[in-house]
Amino acid sequence: MSRWSSLFGMNRRNVELVHARNPRRYYPLVDDKIVAKERLVAVGVPVPATLAVCEGLRDLPALLEGLADQESFVIKPSLGGGGHGILVVGERVEPGCWRKAGGEILDLEALHEHAANILFGAFSRGAMTDRILVEPRVTPGGVYAEMWGDGLSDLRVITLERQPVMAMVRVPTASSEGRANLHQGGLGLAVDLETGRVTRAVRNGRLISRHPDNGAQLEGICLPAWQETLDVARRAAGSVPLGYLGVDIVHDKDLGPLVLELNARPGLEIQNVHGRGLASFLEAL
Amino acid sequence: MRRDTLVRACIAALLVLPAMLAGAKMARFDSLAEDLLPRRQYDVAVQVGLDGHGEAARVRTFAPRSDWHQQVVSEESIGPLPFSTSDVGLNREAVWSGGQVPDGVQAEYRFSVLTSDVVYALPEGLPVPAAYPAALASDLAATEVVQVDSPEIAAALTLAGADSGDIASRLTAIHTFVEGLGSRPFKGTTDALTTLRLGEASCNGKSRLFVAMARAAGIPARLVGGVILESGHKRTSHQWVEAYVAGHWVPYCPTNGYAAELPSTYLALYRGDEALFRHTSDIDFDYAFDIHTQMVPSPNARQTMGPLNLWALFDRVGLPFALLRTLLMLPAGALVVVFFRNVVGLPTFGTFLPALIAAASGATGLAWGLVGLLIVTLGVVLVRALVQRFGLLHSPSLAILLTAVVGWLLLVSLFADAVGLASLAQVALFPIAVLAIAAERLYLAWVERGPRDALRDLAGTLVVILGCYVVMNSLALQLIVLGFPEVLLVIVAADLYLGRWTGIRVSEYLRFRPAMGVVA
Ligand SMILES: Nc1ncnc2c1ncn2[C@@H]1O[C@H](COP(=O)(O)OP(=O)(O)O)[C@@H](O)[C@H]1O
Ligand SMILES: [Mg+2]
Repeated sequence: MSRWSSLFGMNRRNVELVHARNPRRYYPLVDDKIVAKERLVAVGVPVPATLAVCEGLRDLPALLEGLADQESFVIKPSLGGGGHGILVVGERVEPGCWRKAGGEILDLEALHEHAANILFGAFSRGAMTDRILVEPRVTPGGVYAEMWGDGLSDLRVITLERQPVMAMVRVPTASSEGRANLHQGGLGLAVDLETGRVTRAVRNGRLISRHPDNGAQLEGICLPAWQETLDVARRAAGSVPLGYLGVDIVHDKDLGPLVLELNARPGLEIQNVHGRGLASFLEAL
Repeated sequence: MRRDTLVRACIAALLVLPAMLAGAKMARFDSLAEDLLPRRQYDVAVQVGLDGHGEAARVRTFAPRSDWHQQVVSEESIGPLPFSTSDVGLNREAVWSGGQVPDGVQAEYRFSVLTSDVVYALPEGLPVPAAYPAALASDLAATEVVQVDSPEIAAALTLAGADSGDIASRLTAIHTFVEGLGSRPFKGTTDALTTLRLGEASCNGKSRLFVAMARAAGIPARLVGGVILESGHKRTSHQWVEAYVAGHWVPYCPTNGYAAELPSTYLALYRGDEALFRHTSDIDFDYAFDIHTQMVPSPNARQTMGPLNLWALFDRVGLPFALLRTLLMLPAGALVVVFFRNVVGLPTFGTFLPALIAAASGATGLAWGLVGLLIVTLGVVLVRALVQRFGLLHSPSLAILLTAVVGWLLLVSLFADAVGLASLAQVALFPIAVLAIAAERLYLAWVERGPRDALRDLAGTLVVILGCYVVMNSLALQLIVLGFPEVLLVIVAADLYLGRWTGIRVSEYLRFRPAMGVVA
């Protein structure tokens, strides 16, 4: 098999994986974070706690009141994707006033406007209305905190019929402005499925050996609680009738692996991180 | 896989079905594909302007007749002056007349014609008849400006070698002789003798000389007046001749060198030595021809539509044919978009925005379409940035954006009209809602992913518009789609194929170089 024939481009992913294994009618189960979370909880998959759910403008005053004395929290559009509309908030400066993850100040008025925009569907892939999900801000643990403490790194596991196929860690850098998005200059770490060891580190398509901000050695790092993490990914994938998924997992310092969300159309950049096409991993299965 | 088999079967059906339909059509009408293909239609406006000074005024011109060469499909008059047509001899006189006509009156007589090339094969060996029916007497007679009996004409006939032989060879000799004279755009009427003496003349002089020589050689001949059809605005009319050969009037144009043939660009308006316009004196009369051309389905193709006769429907509802053509070409544009997105991997704003913009540019011309798009997007993005400052909620800010697109389009149109850029003024035809959404996307891309990404997507959009425009305005494709609308099924087959195509996009060969170990 030539190298290129092992590659999954957009067309092949859509035809052979997304359309073939993910019936459209089940998308809402994962596209809606609140719904997905309910299902994950139902089958005993660990997830971050839910601080509040806001169904509409009527609930907004109560929501803001409840948040006013929270130390830190994360507010998300339930139907959002690609990080759009997510505010990572904390620590609190004074009641009703916080510092955002990037360092900017957020006051109650700005929070109000943002929350209203979420409800109007501004971040919701074409939906006209949306709900708000509020979660505690996850504090990373283990190497996730030691090596990449600035932003929240997450582990992406691709599963096919519940079986993990590929995994990578996405690490935010200073130049990616806290976002772990690989196009933004974030790092991608290829993770060996068997051992949970980092085998390669890639930034903007180029191999690197050290973290560009703190110089930490990347290759060879072993991820904590690896078998448990894989097991969480399997169970998370089994919670919905979708055959091809991207499971996003973070590592909480106290609670261990927590599933953030499921993606029914996971991206293909992971192939660049591993330096191999998805098909060669599927074959190995 | 089952799905693949199903899709393949559908593709096969979608390829076979249109072939069968087209075959059936051709068999049923016993016609060649050529007869089903669209024809070029000329839309002619005869525009007149006059100052009536509040008194009675009358303008007489000629309206075209349908014949073997030209077919008048519609006509109408526009303007305040009463207009009527009536048959007078061989011609249809068209008359505007009014009792108390004010100054500065504009009136238009519009008609659409389908024309075809006509070529005659003249039989050899036909002798010049000794006598003709009495009705042809005037086509053999001498007049003040067609000096048939002049010895100089007789001498010219000998010189040309047209004084003996059969009809065909005499006419050819006369044609060659007259065509060989110089051409010169003289103003006004030039008679036959003057043309001969000067050795040069404009179309009317040469045509009169031809007529005089033909009549002198014993062949009935007459002048024909009309216009040469070409897109644009013009005042020039044209004259040529017809010679009577064994019951047929055979066209010759010694000015442009057409012997026994008439190209489809010639439109005959009258026969005989007439003036194209006659009018009440002292009315400061002016006129012009405004000519446009478009492809329309052939009469045969119209019939083959049966209950699906879209052309008849559009006629009834009063929608312009151009709209139907645009609609029928839109699937082709959409296929181009699919190709660029799924095979090339070029990012665009809005899935079918490029096809819609290309369709709208059909009226403005591509360059102005693109300029219009850039101006509009720029304006809208600026408004979007402004709206952002108010911290408005999403839907209301989109509504403002839509309004901004409308306002900005009208403003651009007004401005373009004021400075005389008629084409740019057509930007108001742009799909407004699609533009608003595209501008919104452009703005978001700019803010979220930076100007580089946004400009890249914009460039991609422009390239795809170009592709759509080229394909949707390709004459060949329009001919095929208008003549055989079942081709749309073939386009659907192509969409199906691309819909299951799992190949790597061109852009992905770049994107996945790291995955494939190709290091930049
Ligand atoms: N509870 C949380 N605590 C801290 N950061 C979070 C939390 N939830 C999300 N994030 C941050 O937001 C990013 C995107 O969150 P995710 O739930 O995966 O939404 P999306 O569908 O937009 O990708 C995560 O990678 C992480 O950096
Ligand atoms: Mg995610």
